[in-house]
Amino acid sequence: MTVQLLSANHAAALAATLAGRANRTGRGFCSGVYPITPSTECAEYLCLQEIEKGRVVRVESEHSAMGVCIGASASGARAFTVTASNGLAYMAENCIVAASLRLPIVLVVANRTIGPPWNLWTDHGDALLLRDAGIIQLFCADNQEVFDSVLAAFRLAEDAAVMMPVMVCMDGFILSHASAPTEIPSQEQVDRFLPPAVVPHRLGQGSHTLGQIEVPHQTEVHRLQHHAAMLGVPERYAAVQEAFAAVFGRRMPDALDTYRTEDADALVVSMGTIGATAERAVDILRARGQRVGAVRVRMFRPLPAEALRRVFAGRWRIAVIDRDVSLGFGGVLWGEVRALADTGAVVQNYLAGLGGGDVRPEHIIGMLDDLLPRREAGVPELVEAG
Amino acid sequence: MNEPLLGGMAQTALDRPGPLLRRGNTNCGGCGMSNLLQMLGHAAADRSLQLMVPASCAAVCGGIFPFSTFDAPTLMTTFAAGSSFASGAATVARLNGEDTRVVCLAGDGGTYDIGIGSLSAAAERNEDVLYLCYDNEIYGNTGGQRSSATPSGAVASNLPRGKAEPKKDVLAIMAAHHVPYAASLSLAHADDTIRKLRYALDLSGFRFLVVLSPCPTGWKSEPALGMELVRLAVRSGLYPVLEIFDGKRTVINIEPDFSDEALDMYLSLQRRFQRSGVNAAALRPELDRLWQDLRARSGRIVPARRGV
Amino acid sequence: MHQQSQAGLAETAVLPAGLRFPLEVRVHGRGGQGGVTCAKLIATLYSQMGLSVQTFGDYGSERTGAPVAAYTRVDRTTIANRNKIYHPDHLLVLDDGLLGAQVLSGAGQGALLLLNSRRGMAGFGERFPHCRLGVVDATSIAREHGIGSASLVIVNTTLLGAYVRMLGLPLDVLERAYASLGLEEDFAAARHAFDAVETREVADAEAEAVEAVAPSAPVAPLTGHFADTPPNLLTGAWSTQTPIYRTQAAPCNLACPAGNDVVGFIQALKSGGADAALGILLGTQPLPSVCGRVCPAPCMHACNRKSFDGAVNIRSLERWIADHATLPPERRKAERPRRVAVVGGGPAGLSAAYHLAVRGHEVSLFEAAPALGGVLRNGIPVFRLPRDVLQADIDRILALGVQAHCDGRLGGEEVRRLAETHDAVIVCTGFGGENALAVPGGELAGVEQGLAFLARAARAPETVAGHVLVVGGGNTAIDCARTALRCGAASVKLVYRRAREDMPAIGEEIEEAEAEGLRVLAHRQPVAFTGEGAVAAAVLAEVEAGAPDASGRRRPVVSGRTTTAPCDKVLLALGQRQELDLLPEGWEMRGARAWRDGTALAVWFAGDCATGEGTVAHAIGNGRRAALAALANLSAATAEAEPEPGVPVAPAEIRFSHFDVMPPHRDRQVAPLARRENFAESNQGLGGPEEADRCFSCGHCTLCDTCLFYCPDAVIHRAEGGYRVDEDYCKGCGMCVAECPRNAMEMREKGS
Repeated sequence: MTVQLLSANHAAALAATLAGRANRTGRGFCSGVYPITPSTECAEYLCLQEIEKGRVVRVESEHSAMGVCIGASASGARAFTVTASNGLAYMAENCIVAASLRLPIVLVVANRTIGPPWNLWTDHGDALLLRDAGIIQLFCADNQEVFDSVLAAFRLAEDAAVMMPVMVCMDGFILSHASAPTEIPSQEQVDRFLPPAVVPHRLGQGSHTLGQIEVPHQTEVHRLQHHAAMLGVPERYAAVQEAFAAVFGRRMPDALDTYRTEDADALVVSMGTIGATAERAVDILRARGQRVGAVRVRMFRPLPAEALRRVFAGRWRIAVIDRDVSLGFGGVLWGEVRALADTGAVVQNYLAGLGGGDVRPEHIIGMLDDLLPRREAGVPELVEAG
Repeated sequence: MNEPLLGGMAQTALDRPGPLLRRGNTNCGGCGMSNLLQMLGHAAADRSLQLMVPASCAAVCGGIFPFSTFDAPTLMTTFAAGSSFASGAATVARLNGEDTRVVCLAGDGGTYDIGIGSLSAAAERNEDVLYLCYDNEIYGNTGGQRSSATPSGAVASNLPRGKAEPKKDVLAIMAAHHVPYAASLSLAHADDTIRKLRYALDLSGFRFLVVLSPCPTGWKSEPALGMELVRLAVRSGLYPVLEIFDGKRTVINIEPDFSDEALDMYLSLQRRFQRSGVNAAALRPELDRLWQDLRARSGRIVPARRGV
Repeated sequence: MHQQSQAGLAETAVLPAGLRFPLEVRVHGRGGQGGVTCAKLIATLYSQMGLSVQTFGDYGSERTGAPVAAYTRVDRTTIANRNKIYHPDHLLVLDDGLLGAQVLSGAGQGALLLLNSRRGMAGFGERFPHCRLGVVDATSIAREHGIGSASLVIVNTTLLGAYVRMLGLPLDVLERAYASLGLEEDFAAARHAFDAVETREVADAEAEAVEAVAPSAPVAPLTGHFADTPPNLLTGAWSTQTPIYRTQAAPCNLACPAGNDVVGFIQALKSGGADAALGILLGTQPLPSVCGRVCPAPCMHACNRKSFDGAVNIRSLERWIADHATLPPERRKAERPRRVAVVGGGPAGLSAAYHLAVRGHEVSLFEAAPALGGVLRNGIPVFRLPRDVLQADIDRILALGVQAHCDGRLGGEEVRRLAETHDAVIVCTGFGGENALAVPGGELAGVEQGLAFLARAARAPETVAGHVLVVGGGNTAIDCARTALRCGAASVKLVYRRAREDMPAIGEEIEEAEAEGLRVLAHRQPVAFTGEGAVAAAVLAEVEAGAPDASGRRRPVVSGRTTTAPCDKVLLALGQRQELDLLPEGWEMRGARAWRDGTALAVWFAGDCATGEGTVAHAIGNGRRAALAALANLSAATAEAEPEPGVPVAPAEIRFSHFDVMPPHRDRQVAPLARRENFAESNQGLGGPEEADRCFSCGHCTLCDTCLFYCPDAVIHRAEGGYRVDEDYCKGCGMCVAECPRNAMEMREKGS
């Protein structure tokens, strides 16, 4: 175990490298990569690594990057790629195919606004585009979490009861380009954590077809099977957390990360690095004597609904911060969690940090100042942070 | 055709235990892609294959879950990404020291049109993939719309008066990538086709093969006459049968006799050419230019057409 | 989807009796058969009656053959229901190969069930007792009316004729509907089906209907799917035709006067070598060494390869087989051995004797000359037919136990006695005298019959000096010329009254003779010979080509223009007369058989004495047929049928594109000048049997695998020395037949 000062892009690349090497006793590692800001450095760093029984294919498009991963994963290899923004949109068709074929591919997304307007900075709208595709989505709040999540994502994706892609999201620039000391385990530790990948339905020697046409009944059953596997993910995630702690002596955050919520009257719910900012706002408000707590939805898909319901129970004021907007509706996270609160609770949506706006504690304090006197929720409010 | 060459190629100890395209498939009767798959099976014999099939008739033909029409592991890919899926699969095969031949089987839509980006890139990276394009010159699977492989004069379901533009020269495009091997195949010349398939199967790096594939449904022709149509296309010079090594050396495999009679017969046996009134006389000047260029590239100083 | 609604019923609407609304119709077929259009046509029919209709198909991807369902819903009011039809009142099945629980599901008591099937009502026995059943062979009817293509017949418009009949509607309802849709051309087929449909009322009102089947097969998860499950889609009536293998007559076989199985022996040579080929040859003829040298080979003129790159050198292949095979024929045992006398030891007699002896009969062969062979020995020069070669063929015949009596010419009385002492007599005495030339000077010394000259030269060395003129264009003429050249003639000219290409002599022989020094003067005829005691010159008139005669050749017309050619010897080779001088008193020949007082005798005639056809091959065939006729006459039980002639495969039926251009292998010849020096055999024959590879094997399967190789669906398999077609999976595309290089296959209707 060493500690290195790394950007999250490099940390993610390093995690993929270690995972890739760990599969040298399996069917190897293959990655298709294509540059796009702000994920480029991750792909670049990966290309600099020596991976035994591994190959990084520098393709011509994000669509093909995922295409290579699907071909590799369908052949039993461990597969990884990284992208952002319009790149993810271009990759989307193959992401859906990877999910529907139940292939355990790990995809890192450095969240960035989808253009136009052309904008390099962070926004969760790109990842949320694939909310319904059958891909596990993890949103990270710091560099170490990015590294740990990528490693854990392979274990989770390759779990026989899960068998689907995992998308690890990090806020573009805020994480991707920010360097922080990161604990990097040894290869031996990673080998223990990640046994050789087994894709049970991979192409072998005999005749067997992946991805045929189906009649409606088969499709409805396959969709339901995928859905059931998704619903089982929180339980499998907990097991991965245990294994992670056992090997690395460090605990990976829960699917739902809570901060000072035990006695809170009001909660602020968010994803990604805003969650960390929210904790600072909570500390400030607590110092003023206000009993508020923060909830960070780390696993957006599957949504840990039960855990959310438990933490929402008895709270009457809930602020939901979305770094995204589903136009014509409001925040995506808000839309998902508002029904989980107690009846009569005020669940107010704040759209903050869209297009990369820098959401600071004072913005969140402002939201709580707005929320606490409310007797009912209004339409989603834009909090200008840009 | 040399009979001794055909004899003993199929259903012998050297052949595959069963056909590559199994009976009971849903392809139309007389489908050229079916012929191609059978020939690929004979050519591959005991070599291990994997098929990557982008959206196309072949993808539908592959069977309804859980059936497998192809006697080889098969992955149905997205329309544009056949070459990328194949790159991934071939990479893993090589990483594991397996000699599996990864074959991307795509139609002209998946090759000339939507797939050309990933195809070009995989060719440029010289991936260890055998790319096999069965070109029926339309989007057959969706009912016969025009593609950039549709020849001028042919109607398509979305082009009722016939196409004005000539067909894209995909072989020249692929040769310009300097791939180790690029070739056009004539199903009617099985010996040449089997030779090329075997050569391509045993080569490493990117191999590109394009096959004129009769489509009785889309061409509105008699199913039985598929091979005859190909033969006429080859004879008349409409469909040059050649191979290009490393993008440099061009070899013409079958000499046409440039017969206008054969060309007119080719056109008249397909109702898709009927409405535009295209005929040999109209096509010949362009074909003469094409062949002059081919002569120059193949280094053969022979008049492009006898009597010219 | 397509919905029409019309306010109110039309004044003239004729509604079929007994319809309940909403009426639900379901059509099952396969992609390409027209099922969706069928449902649409039904909708049109009801729409014309002023009813509301809705019709839609269960679409898949575009391809022929995939099972397809289509639906039509009919009501008096606007239709809101958009579901598929699960309990059809009317069920139409375009392909009886699809009949199964899925197709029949939901058809309740009294449902109308209309099947397209060639099995007829009887073919369904007691099935579907709860339905009003109709069965019609719409596929055959539609094909008869040319709807669709040969391999994909479209049956929808035809089937509707039967449907209208079952509804009890008049045909003009359909006629109007078709007219409104521009389908007038299909109406005749519908009328045909209207008349042809067989119907049956509900047979058992208590019978159980087939319940709708729930699509509840377990679905394996994708991650648990790795088994190999081959597809199982039967082609049913989707394909209406399937290939069969059948032999068609080869032109060479039909052309061979000896009845040789030319394709058979050449293919046997390829696959089994010379012995195997000789085995087949000896089935029809005992003189392969002879025919392989001197036959004019009509087979080669008929050969389909002639139109491609030159006829197969069949004659020389026969010679190669005879020269290289060692297999002796096997004398079979006759159930009841007969005693047969054969008069005449020429090719016809030898052939008759052989065919009798090889079948185990006792044969006495009578020959006027001291040795057997007839014209083969006396008329054909040794440099074309070496005597040891002839003797080998004769010895093979004698080895079968034939008793040869070469002790003089028999007369009528002796023939009569033979007929009394033998079960049968076959007379093969060949031609009579030679045709003469009635011109001034014909009696001069030096003018003689070519055959006499050849016989003399065959017996002892003959010397010829000066210039020789041969008259005639047949093989004897050429033989005379080549013999004269070898005997020392200073020059040899041949005079023929027609064109050179009309000469009946073997083309190669003419060429060889010319190489040796012969000059052919075509369009000439001697009109006089001049000389003092001995001939010194011939007066040759020019001959013009006149109108074609019965043989298609242009009749020669002698002109007044003459030239004089000096000559020291004239050899006449103008053919021979047919005459039978040994017929006993009171006998006559009718149909190659002897008759006396209106009674047929056990005496047959064969060869030139009977037919005058004039070639060895004809004589051989004739001899065999006479022998078999004699045996058949003695015992009908052992009669052997000659193969039916049939229609030969035409050049257009051969796929030339399957063959490489490969010019014929020519015979090896001794250099022309060297061969004039002696009487050694000048033609050395073929260098090897490779010429056999050039045989197209017209109409005869060679197991070349082209069909198997080009079958798009791999349904052709090798089986029992041939091929087997898996009809359950054959789509009937016909590619195998189209690609068969030699026309040994054809498509036939499935199930016929």
